[in-house]
Amino acid sequence: MSGQFVAFFILSLLTIGGAVFMISFTRVVHMVVSLGITFLCIAGLFVMLDAEFVAVSQVLVYSGAISILMLFGIMLTKKDDVEPKAHRNKRKLISFLLVAALFVFVFLGIQASPWPNPEAAPQPVEQSNPKQIGLAVFTRYVIPFELVSLLLLVALVGAILMAKKEDGK
Amino acid sequence: MDTILHYAWLIPLFPLFAFIVLVSFGRQLRGGASSVGILAAALSCVLALVIGWQSYQGAASEKVLVEWMNIRDTVIRVGYEINSLNAMMLVIISVVSLLVQIYSKEYMRDDERVPVYYQYLSLFAFSMMALVLSPNLLQLYIFWELVGVCSFLLIGYHFSKPKAMLAAKKAFIVTRIGDVGLLIAIILLFWWTGSFEYSEIFKTVALGKMEPWMTTLTAVLIFVGAVGKSGQFPLHTWLPDAMEGPTPVSALIHAATMVAAGVYLVAATYPLFLDSQTALDIVAYTGGFTAIFAALIGLTQTDIKRVLAYSTISQLGYMMLALGVAGAIGYTAGVFHLFTHAFFKALLFLAAGSVIHAVHTQDLFQMGGLLKKMPVTGIAFLIGCLAIAGIPPFSGYWSKEEIISAVYSAQRADLLWIAVITVFLTSFYMFRLFFLTFTGKAVSQAISRAKDPSAVMRIPLLVLAVLAVLSGFLNMPFAPLLENWQLAGDVGESIHFAMPEAAELHAPWLSVVSVLVSLAGIVLAYLIYVKKAIAATWIARPLPWLYRLSNRAFYLDEIYRYGLAVPLRGIGMLLDLFDHYLIGGLVQLAVKLANGLGGLHARLQSGQMQTYGLIVLLGIVLLLIGITTQGGVSFGQ
Amino acid sequence: MTVPVTSYLLVALILFCVGLYGALTKRNAVIVLLSIELMLNAVNLNLIAFAKFGLHPAITGQIFSLFTMTVAAAEVAVGIAVLIALYRNRETVNVDEMDTMKR
Repeated sequence: MSGQFVAFFILSLLTIGGAVFMISFTRVVHMVVSLGITFLCIAGLFVMLDAEFVAVSQVLVYSGAISILMLFGIMLTKKDDVEPKAHRNKRKLISFLLVAALFVFVFLGIQASPWPNPEAAPQPVEQSNPKQIGLAVFTRYVIPFELVSLLLLVALVGAILMAKKEDGK
Repeated sequence: MDTILHYAWLIPLFPLFAFIVLVSFGRQLRGGASSVGILAAALSCVLALVIGWQSYQGAASEKVLVEWMNIRDTVIRVGYEINSLNAMMLVIISVVSLLVQIYSKEYMRDDERVPVYYQYLSLFAFSMMALVLSPNLLQLYIFWELVGVCSFLLIGYHFSKPKAMLAAKKAFIVTRIGDVGLLIAIILLFWWTGSFEYSEIFKTVALGKMEPWMTTLTAVLIFVGAVGKSGQFPLHTWLPDAMEGPTPVSALIHAATMVAAGVYLVAATYPLFLDSQTALDIVAYTGGFTAIFAALIGLTQTDIKRVLAYSTISQLGYMMLALGVAGAIGYTAGVFHLFTHAFFKALLFLAAGSVIHAVHTQDLFQMGGLLKKMPVTGIAFLIGCLAIAGIPPFSGYWSKEEIISAVYSAQRADLLWIAVITVFLTSFYMFRLFFLTFTGKAVSQAISRAKDPSAVMRIPLLVLAVLAVLSGFLNMPFAPLLENWQLAGDVGESIHFAMPEAAELHAPWLSVVSVLVSLAGIVLAYLIYVKKAIAATWIARPLPWLYRLSNRAFYLDEIYRYGLAVPLRGIGMLLDLFDHYLIGGLVQLAVKLANGLGGLHARLQSGQMQTYGLIVLLGIVLLLIGITTQGGVSFGQ
Repeated sequence: MTVPVTSYLLVALILFCVGLYGALTKRNAVIVLLSIELMLNAVNLNLIAFAKFGLHPAITGQIFSLFTMTVAAAEVAVGIAVLIALYRNRETVNVDEMDTMKR
């Protein structure tokens, strides 16, 4: 049992645990908090996968921005909304069965596929991860990068425009 | 002057025009509505009288036809025809209609819906005149139905009274039974002769192209139509109930004109009947039976208008009897009686109307002693009674005389007995009516205050009284003016052709007998109801069932109800159940199926995006199943 | 000895399924949005796992996950704005009441 395994187990346990709690909590605020934990742990998993830059971005964007945005969304709508317990049980059952079926099939698919040996994976190269990403983004992927920035700008303007109070109301 | 016949088509158009004006502007006209109706009636009356005179003078009959439809080889035409018979009918209709409309002006003065009333009257006058002017059966049938509708509307004029509504419905439905017979007859005739024209049909029949049984069948079916319209047994039950309508309407429609349409129909299609002895016998016996049957019922009625209604049925039966015994004299006698009856029965109804107007009751036993209070009405009524009883020199005597001698000439002893007994019964119940109403002591306050109506109502009474006296002189045995007139046309020829007249048996003693019989009826009524020498109940007491039988009109209404209406309703209910549960169930099933399918689809389109997502997920899972089982990926290495 | 790629994939699969279940059953639109974020994260995890252990390991996976993250951020911003506007007009953030187009 190497340390890597221990770290993986703890992180994935927390990730899945957060997600499951998100589903089972009844108070909306608790759900957001537990999902924040999930996002953080996913960032940990990213680190384990030699993706430091993405991990940091994950912490900033998901654990930080999106979770906070969600909290704001909740607070601006119904602050202490509670999911009714015994609500839409039939739908829940059907959803659960279908999701379970999906899980089983994809799981079987994963199991059946021949994966390359992880030991054979190339060792991380000399260059640091952010530098690699920077090189790739500003050379090969420069046009998608600019487009994404444009997308963000549009989303920014659109969000403001929509959330703004309409005149005369 | 001969050209005046060219304008005969104008006669029905005046009332039609009045009808249109009244429908359009009746509300604005209010009181003037009656003037419009009366003016139109007067114009057509003048024209009808002129044309009647022309026709009487021997003007050739006129027939104008225009093409209406052209169905392959068959041309259906419409137009009008003037011959001696319908010229006479036009005179009757227009005169009575004019007098009734004048009378109604006063009678209906307090009514809210006077314009509507005159609308109906004008429409009726139009349809009735157009009916007699029709040169073919198709056109006749159209107007035949139209007068039925007018009768329905006018009987139900006081539609807020449930009794009037029921009576109107009954009249409509019962006459409909007869109308179906007429319709079948028209269809059969068209099938066999290829034409609706009277002349064509008669020609075909005269040439013997129709099977005898077919001639009999069609004649009987036409007679069924006449039975319905003219209130002959067994379809007479609507006529007494029709008395729920305003009294002038009863005078016009249910005494003088529309009910006579059945007699007119038989007279107009007479050549057809001449070809079939069976049909003639049916007509004669139905008429005779109806005459005596209705007279028996009339004996015990207590409603003044119902007595008159049964007497109308009885007199119509007389006319049918006369037509049925056939021969030139029978035909003339029937038509002649139709002519005189129209006047004296309208007179009786209008006089009864003034009585009802004055005392506000129709119950005979609530009246009495009115002769002093209302001398004009009383004398008019007396004239009517004498005319219907057949006392010379009143008109009824001459026409009844004709009928009896026609029956005698035909040597039908059974029918002769019926006719004579009916004479006795008629004079008895008519004078019972007269004595109970006009003599004796006043029973109530209303009677002591009663007085003769105003001039507007009096004038029609007087005119009709004069006509009731004089119209008989048109056709006296020694001066058969009407006979010469009526037999001048084609019908007369075909009658002479069909039965070379057995010389008319003149029997002066017969006339004396019938007058004596009639007088006996009057004396009996006088003894019972004035002198009270004989108790009114001398028959009713020992034989109460006999009285009840007569009073309830031989329970015919009840027999129809329980023998026909109730079983029919039962069958109807069964069919309704069948319809409701089986056919309706099938329909419902189809509806439910479509609805369910639609609902199912609507449920899919719930607008719930999570449901949509669920369905997408289902699709993905199915896709995965497909890929994993059929695709390249296989489980377990 | 390193953690095999199937373990990462399994974690990602579980996250995805949980997110999907949440997206399909939760009434609160904010939570539905959150569940969708969870699913996107699961995908990111897969991308990054393949960037290291795929048949052709390359930095491209990480770049893609960065793009995904950006788009997700934009989506959340717009989504929350829509929800707030909707809440102002309809007083509700329950997805099962958002069926005006149907009615």
